[in-house]
Amino acid sequence: MLLAVLFANSEGNILVERFNGVPAEERLHWRSFLVKLGAENLKGAKNEELLVACHKSVYIVYTVLGDVSIYVVGKDEYDELALSEVIFVITSAVKDVCGKPPTERVFLDKYGKICLCLDEIVWKGYLENTDKERIKRLIRLKPPVDF
Amino acid sequence: MAQPFAKKDDDRDEEAEYSPFLGIEKGAVLQEARVFHDPQLDPRRCSQVITKLLYLLNQGETFTKVEATEVFFAVTKLFQSRDIGLRRMVYLMIKEISPSSDEVIMVTSSLMKDMTSRTDVYRANAIRVLCQITDGTLLGQIERYLKQAIVDKNPVVASAALVSGIHILQTNPEIVKRWSNEVQEAVQSRAALVQFHALALLHQIRQNDRLAVSKLVTSLTRGTVRSPLAQCLLVRYASQVIRESANNFQTGERPFYDYLESCLRHKSEMVILEAARAITELSGVTNRELTPAITVLQLFLSSSKPVLRFAAVRTLNKVAMTHPMAVTNCNIDMESLISDQNRSIATLAITTLLKTGNESSVDRLMKQITNFMSDIADEFKIVVVEAIRSLCIKFPLKYRSLMNFLSNILREEGGFEYKKAIVDSIVILIRDIQEAKEIGLLHLCEFIEDCEFTYLSTQILHFLGIEGPKTADPSKFIRYIYNRVHLENATVRACAVTTLAKFGATVDSLKPRIIVLLRRCLFDSDDEVRDRATLYLNTLGADGSVAETDNDVKEFLFDSLDIPLVNLETSLRNYEPSDQPFDINSVPKEIKAQPLAEKKAPGKKPIGLGAPPTAPSAAVDAYDKLLSSIPEFASYGKLFKSSAPVELTEAETEYAVNVVKHIFDHHVLFQYNCTNTIPEQLLENVTVVVDASEAEEFSEVASKPLKSLPYDSPGQTFVAFEKTDGVPAVGKFSNVLKFIVKEVDPTTGEAEEDGVEDEYQLEDLEVVAADYMQKVGVSNFRNAWESMDPEGERVDEYGLGSRESLAEAVNAVMNLLGMQPCEGTEAVPSNSRSHTCLLSGVFIGNVKVLVRLSFGISGQNEVAMKLAVRSEDENVSNTIHEIVASG
Repeated sequence: MLLAVLFANSEGNILVERFNGVPAEERLHWRSFLVKLGAENLKGAKNEELLVACHKSVYIVYTVLGDVSIYVVGKDEYDELALSEVIFVITSAVKDVCGKPPTERVFLDKYGKICLCLDEIVWKGYLENTDKERIKRLIRLKPPVDF
Repeated sequence: MAQPFAKKDDDRDEEAEYSPFLGIEKGAVLQEARVFHDPQLDPRRCSQVITKLLYLLNQGETFTKVEATEVFFAVTKLFQSRDIGLRRMVYLMIKEISPSSDEVIMVTSSLMKDMTSRTDVYRANAIRVLCQITDGTLLGQIERYLKQAIVDKNPVVASAALVSGIHILQTNPEIVKRWSNEVQEAVQSRAALVQFHALALLHQIRQNDRLAVSKLVTSLTRGTVRSPLAQCLLVRYASQVIRESANNFQTGERPFYDYLESCLRHKSEMVILEAARAITELSGVTNRELTPAITVLQLFLSSSKPVLRFAAVRTLNKVAMTHPMAVTNCNIDMESLISDQNRSIATLAITTLLKTGNESSVDRLMKQITNFMSDIADEFKIVVVEAIRSLCIKFPLKYRSLMNFLSNILREEGGFEYKKAIVDSIVILIRDIQEAKEIGLLHLCEFIEDCEFTYLSTQILHFLGIEGPKTADPSKFIRYIYNRVHLENATVRACAVTTLAKFGATVDSLKPRIIVLLRRCLFDSDDEVRDRATLYLNTLGADGSVAETDNDVKEFLFDSLDIPLVNLETSLRNYEPSDQPFDINSVPKEIKAQPLAEKKAPGKKPIGLGAPPTAPSAAVDAYDKLLSSIPEFASYGKLFKSSAPVELTEAETEYAVNVVKHIFDHHVLFQYNCTNTIPEQLLENVTVVVDASEAEEFSEVASKPLKSLPYDSPGQTFVAFEKTDGVPAVGKFSNVLKFIVKEVDPTTGEAEEDGVEDEYQLEDLEVVAADYMQKVGVSNFRNAWESMDPEGERVDEYGLGSRESLAEAVNAVMNLLGMQPCEGTEAVPSNSRSHTCLLSGVFIGNVKVLVRLSFGISGQNEVAMKLAVRSEDENVSNTIHEIVASG
C-alpha cells in the first residue's frame, strides 16, 4: 500500500498531502516526520536525486524538484524500489505539467492539473498509471494513443 | 515545529503576490461554489473553484457533513456541462468528497451513463468514481459492465476496472471472485500495466488456494511478462510457492529457483533486486544458491542511485544475520558506504559490517564508526550500539576496545533511549565477560557523576551495590556513590544510601567507614533518605547493639521480600496503629495473579539492569517459592521441574484455564491457573476434579480449592498426585472444573447470597516422559561426553518408519526426550541425507544425561536412528532407551 504522497515547499509548508490507509490521528506525526526528514537531508540535493529512508516497516523515498520537495511513503509491496518507480512517475508528470522543475508559484498555478495527474498515478494507495504521455492525455480526457 | 504545519495562507507579507491561493478561506470558497448552480455555467471559473476546494482538502482541511453535502450537490450540477476539462475535475471532486450512501443516488445515473459511454476515458473515470462511492447493492447492478471493462481493449478502461476490483475485494469479495475468468484473460493482455493490475488482482482472488497460485506462477514464468512491475509481483508469488511447498521438495531441486536465478539477469534493476532478495530469503538456502544473488547485490552497493544502494545493503544486512560468511566478500564495498551521504545506508552498512567482521577487523571498524556516530540521529545510534553489544559477546577478547567505545559515546550528548541502550550494553558485558567487570563498573561510575536521568542513575547504583563489593578493590567505588548523596535529587540519594549499605554489609573492612557515611545521611532533608539511613545503621549494628547475624543482614539487603508487593500494600493499608507492631509474617504469600515469569513473551531474553540472568530458572524459583509457602505441599521437597503452561480451554471461552505441571521426586502437582471472563459472575469454591483412570501409576493425595474467583482476577487451584519413586510415570488425566457460581449485580459489583453448583469440561492433560527431564545445556559436548564413564553407555538402533523429512524426525525425537540440543545440532541442513544431533539434560533424581543421535534417511523417506546414551546412572541410560522404544 502506498501510504502517502506529500508535497511541501522549501520552508516545509504542505502543498499537497494525500494519505491512504493512515488513521487521521497519525497523519500529523507523518507530516512532521517527513518535513523534518526533508529539512535534514534535502539541503543541497540535486533535482530528482532520490533519497531513501525507512521508519519501522515503512519506506520513504523523497526528492526535490525545483522549489518543491516530494515524499512518497509505502509499506509491504511498496518498498523502496516500487516507491522510486512511483516518485519517478510523479516527478515526470509534474515537470511535464509545469514545463520545467517548478518554482512554488508555477506549482500552485498548475495546482489543479497536478491534482489530476496524481489522481491518475495513484488511486487509493495503488499505482495505476506510469506513463507520462498517457497521463497527459488522460487528464484532458483524451484516450491514450499507444494501444 | 509549528511553522511547517502552517498553511500557505499564513505566509508572510512579502510573498503577497506569490501564491494564487493567498488568503484562501474555507467559508469563502464554499460561497464561491455557488457558481456551480448558475444556469449558464462558466467552465473555467468552475474549474478554478474546484481547484481551490482541492487545495483545501489536500492540506488536511475537512468539511462538515453539511458543507460536504452542499458541495456535493453543487458539483453534481456540473454534469450538465460538456466541457471536458471540467468533467475530469468533477470526477476527481466527487471522489474527494466521498458522499454518504444516501446522497450517492444523485450521481449514479449520470455515472452509469458515462460508464456505458462511447468515449473510453469517460468509461474509465466513471468506473473509478462509482467503485469508490458505491456500496454492495449498487455493485450488483454495475457488475456486468465491470466484467466487460476488465477485458476492454482500451488499457485505461481495463486498468480502471482491475484496480477497482482490488479495492472492492476488501469489502465485497464474493462479487469480485466471480470475475476470475475475465481477470485471467486480462493477465494475458499485451498492455503492460493491465497485466500488472490483473496479476495483482488474480493473486488476491486466489491467495487462499495454493494449487491455483502455483499453477498461475508456473504458467506465467513460462510465458511473457511485459512490465517490470508485474515481473516483481511474479517473483514474490514464486517465492511464496517455494515457501509453501518447502517440505515436498526436500530431496529434489528447488522449484522455480531457475526462474529466480534467470531474473538476476533481467534488464530492470527492480526485478534483479527483487529476485536477489527472494533468493536470500529462501528457507535453508545453500551457499551455491546464494552466491549469484550476493554477487548482484554487491554490484548494486556501488550504484550511483541511492535507492539501489539502500535496497542492496538492506538485503545484505538481513542475509548477514543468517549467513554472515556469505556476505564477507562485500565487506570492502560496504566499508566505503560508511561515509555515504544517506545516513540510512551508512547505518545499515555499519550494522552489517559489525555482523560479518572478524576479530582482526574490529579495531579498524570501531575507528570508522567513531567518526560516523557524531552525525547520525539517536535512533540510528541505538541500532549501532545494539550491534556492538552482540559483537562484543561474539569476540569477548575485544572487550577493551568495544568497552572504550561504549564509554566514549556514553559521555556524549544523547537522549534517554540512547543512553539506556549504552548502559544496558555495558551491564551485559560486565555480566558476561569477567575481565570487563572492573573497567565497566568504573565507566558506569563516571557516567553517574554527570547523569541527567534519574532512572539510569538509580539502576546503575542498584547494579553497583550487587557487583561492586565482589571486585578486588571495592573501596574505589565509594567516592562515586557517596557523591550522589550530596549532589542528586532525593530518589537518587535514597538509592545511593542503599548501595552504601550493601557495601558495608558485604565488605567487612569498609563497614566502619560506611557507618560514618551513613550517619551523615541522617541529616538529609528527605524523609526517605533519613529513614533508609536509620534502618541500615541499625541492621549494620552501628549503635553498638547486638547486630543481626551477617547472613540475616545480607539476606535483608540483597534478597527480595518474598512477598507480593500488592499483598504487602493491602496489609499495610489495613494495619491500624496500635501497641502491636506490624508483623510482616502476617502478610499472605499467595500470589493472586499468575507469576510474572509466565506472562513473559517466550524466547525473549531479559536484558538490562538487575534482570535475572536466565528466564527459566527464574520461573522455577518463583514457582518454588509459591509452592513451598503452601503448607499442604511444603513437604514435597525440592521442585525438580515446572512445565510451561498448557492451555486447557480454547481462546475466548467463559473460563480460561491453563495448567502447569510441577514435578517433584515422589509427587506431581498440577497448578490450574483459572480466569473468570464473565463480569456478571463470581465463582466460589473452585476445584478441578481429575479422573486419573488412564494414569494408573498416579494416586491423588491432595487438592487445594480456590475460595473465590472474581471477574478478571486470575487465581489458582491445585491437585497433587503421588507416584512411584524413580519411575518416570506417564499417563492421561481428564479434568472438570467444578464451582459455585453467583450472579453479580453489574451496577454495585455485589454478588448474590445464593449460588448454583456448576461444572465446565476442560481438555485432557498428559504427563509425558519429557516432563522428567530438565533442559540443561553443556558448553562443550565433546568434553562432557568423554568425561562420562563409557561403561554406562547404552547404544541401540531404531527404525522410525516413513517420515516427511529428516528435520521432522529429529524434532520428533527431541520433543519426546525434552532435552537441550547442543551446538546448534537441532538444525538439519536441507537436502542432507544424514544428521547427528547432540542433546543434554538432567533427569529426575538430578542425573546428568547426554545423548548422541545419528539419523539417516533413505530414498523412500524411511528414517533410521542410532541412539547412544551416557549418564551418571546406568538405569537412567536404560530408561532413555525405554522412552524412545515406547514413543
